[in-house]
Amino acid sequence: MRYALSEIPVIKRVLHSRWLQWSLTALTLLFFVLAIIAGLVGTPAGNRNFGIVFVWIVWWALLILLLVPFAGRLWCGVCPIPAPGEWLQRRALVQPRPGGKLYTLGKKWPKAFRNIWLQNAGFLGVALFSTVILTTPMATALVLLGFMIVAVGTSLIFERRTFCRYLCPVGGFIGLYSQVAPIELRVKDTAVCASHTEKTCYTGSDEGYGCPWLVFPGGLTNNTYCGLCTECLKTCTRDNIAIFVRQPGADLLKTTGHKLDEAYKGLIMLACAFIYSTVLIGPWGVLKETARSVGTPGWFAYAGIFLALNLAILPGLFWLAVRSGQWIGQSVKTSIGKLFSDYAAVLVPLGLTAWVAFSLSFVLINFSYAWSVLSDPLGWGWNLFGTVGLKWTPYIPGLVPYLQVPVMLIGLTAAIALALRTARQHGQPAWSALPVAAFCAAATVGLLGLYLA
Amino acid sequence: MRRKPEIFALGVVLLVLVAFPAGIFGYQAFRTASASVKVVDIIARTPEHGGFSPDRLSLRAGEPVRLRLSSPDVVHGFTIPGLGVNVDEIYPGKVVEVDVTPDKPGRYAFACTRWCGVDHWRMRGVIEVTGEAGAVLPMEQPPLFQQLGIDIDAMRHAALVTPDVRPSSGAGAALQARLPQDLTDSDQRRTVTPADAFQNLRADPANAALSDGDVWDLVAWAWLKDTPPAALARAEVLYARDCAACHGPDGKGKGPAGVNLPGMAKMDPAMPKGPADFTDPARMLAANDVLLQGKLLRGGMGTGMPEFGSLYSDAEQSAMIAYLRAFLFKP
Repeated sequence: MRYALSEIPVIKRVLHSRWLQWSLTALTLLFFVLAIIAGLVGTPAGNRNFGIVFVWIVWWALLILLLVPFAGRLWCGVCPIPAPGEWLQRRALVQPRPGGKLYTLGKKWPKAFRNIWLQNAGFLGVALFSTVILTTPMATALVLLGFMIVAVGTSLIFERRTFCRYLCPVGGFIGLYSQVAPIELRVKDTAVCASHTEKTCYTGSDEGYGCPWLVFPGGLTNNTYCGLCTECLKTCTRDNIAIFVRQPGADLLKTTGHKLDEAYKGLIMLACAFIYSTVLIGPWGVLKETARSVGTPGWFAYAGIFLALNLAILPGLFWLAVRSGQWIGQSVKTSIGKLFSDYAAVLVPLGLTAWVAFSLSFVLINFSYAWSVLSDPLGWGWNLFGTVGLKWTPYIPGLVPYLQVPVMLIGLTAAIALALRTARQHGQPAWSALPVAAFCAAATVGLLGLYLA
Repeated sequence: MRRKPEIFALGVVLLVLVAFPAGIFGYQAFRTASASVKVVDIIARTPEHGGFSPDRLSLRAGEPVRLRLSSPDVVHGFTIPGLGVNVDEIYPGKVVEVDVTPDKPGRYAFACTRWCGVDHWRMRGVIEVTGEAGAVLPMEQPPLFQQLGIDIDAMRHAALVTPDVRPSSGAGAALQARLPQDLTDSDQRRTVTPADAFQNLRADPANAALSDGDVWDLVAWAWLKDTPPAALARAEVLYARDCAACHGPDGKGKGPAGVNLPGMAKMDPAMPKGPADFTDPARMLAANDVLLQGKLLRGGMGTGMPEFGSLYSDAEQSAMIAYLRAFLFKP
């Protein structure tokens, strides 16, 4: 049920070119630089500043509505944030060093943090201040600059793309949701890998570098940690790696390897979808004001509720659902911890569709700001392309609910199907999945209530 | 073999990291240098989030300036009364450009004219216009309430006499010959309270034949005679813009924005809470025009009353005081 897209000659040639990743990254770096400059010295009015409009509306729309659902981690392959660090590490921009040699202290990331807990914490940190970051160009610029500085520092000390793999707050959820994408990078034949003693895809060769994401492609079973940089396509001497078109969400059908940090990532994303939908687009202006008033007693209360919802309340409710299912199914063979992580697969389609629905509500309404900002990116009175006079025009606002409802229902259907499948995997009767299915249904109804109210 | 592509790639990256930012600033510098007018961006935010940015501008007399007004949050308005600039609406995301050439040195207040938030009235700024290089701005004369040493925060007794029916300025006009000098002359009349004026007129044996109602009509005439209908109409517009939200359109002090304001109860808990009731004769007839002007100019310290008067011209201040009187006196 999969088709090797990269075997099409023209696509294969492009994917094997060393210019592909560099040229796309140089382009995104250009936009990144403009976003930073606009944030630092441009107008403080967010809707007239490239940093706000192109990062939080255009890029976000591209990422959550198109790239992640349909192309997985493609963004990570061309992201400008780790690029300078990687170029310094390689002391090269395009061509590989002989043997794929890297110039870094090459420290290994501490074992205790070889998971996505730090990414979860980083995402929570950014999300907690998001009402400020998303609307304040200076804050956006400083956050982006901060990411890049940490990425460069990490590249100089640690091996490969340690930042992307273990630290990037954005990469964490992109990886989680990329499991839904209908494309994957995998080996064609694992037997070929087994007999390939050099493992150049991981160690590097004269053709390129070992996997920057610290992943052995021969063992890849899901998209979560593959950054789609296509380096392994170039370094595999057996031409045994390809990019496949596959059944969407195929990664979610796997039966092993679910981890608690990834389960929490799913819960945090769902909780944040709820909080954003309530605070950012809900009708309660006082909530938005409180969330923006950093340092006030009201904000501390908001922060407390935010963290409690993310780390205790929603995980607690999900745990209760899983525990109820365990009780209903009279299953004692599987520990509650494993059930919790396995059932958390339902949070991927549920959370992704929640974020798509949430994003539809503000992206379509606000996308038209992009045209005037394109001509006047810093709000300095330019009119580069003659579009500065184009007025703010919500796109198909009446259609938004009609898009949100089916999207959320697709997510709910997939989540319930996954819950049933998980129950079967653990030898439980189908109705033991009922509490988790009810959790998903309640989340969907709650979110739709917020969107449609 | 390896070098050429790397040099090309490095060149492109340097273009992105160095030449591109340099180009941005260079282009802006070129635009500024070649612009025919000075352009000043003013961002209008709700006062809780900073108000006008910048809120102080320094300009030169005779220098044309283009103000580019924008709002990142809610609809604001913009006025520079001293320069005749009025922008009714600045919608979020929309830029409004206003060209202005201040011709005289001085300080010109600017303000928001839309109720954009709880602290809307704090949304102010100042333009300092200088003449020749190094010239010092002229000293402003202190307002009359300061010149006369009137403490506008002091508690005052209610008027001891009040009319039974609403006095009519029109009816009083027929008796104008009876007005004494201190009420005919506007400057003198401003220092007298209407209640005192009534009592002085009443005590004058020459007015013994007049009823109390006639005397009150005469007082009403004295207080409204200097304000033409056009000025009252202008004051009505200003009142709706600046005052009605708290004092109410009918002047009874029941406007929605004034519900939680302390009012004079801040000074004396026995006083009614909230904005002043301009239809209350005991209160209004015990206040002279200088006192009312002081309240307009400085606001009510601690009462929640903003200072709007600094946005008004002298004529507008006088008209506004007459408009407030008209809640009691029929024009």
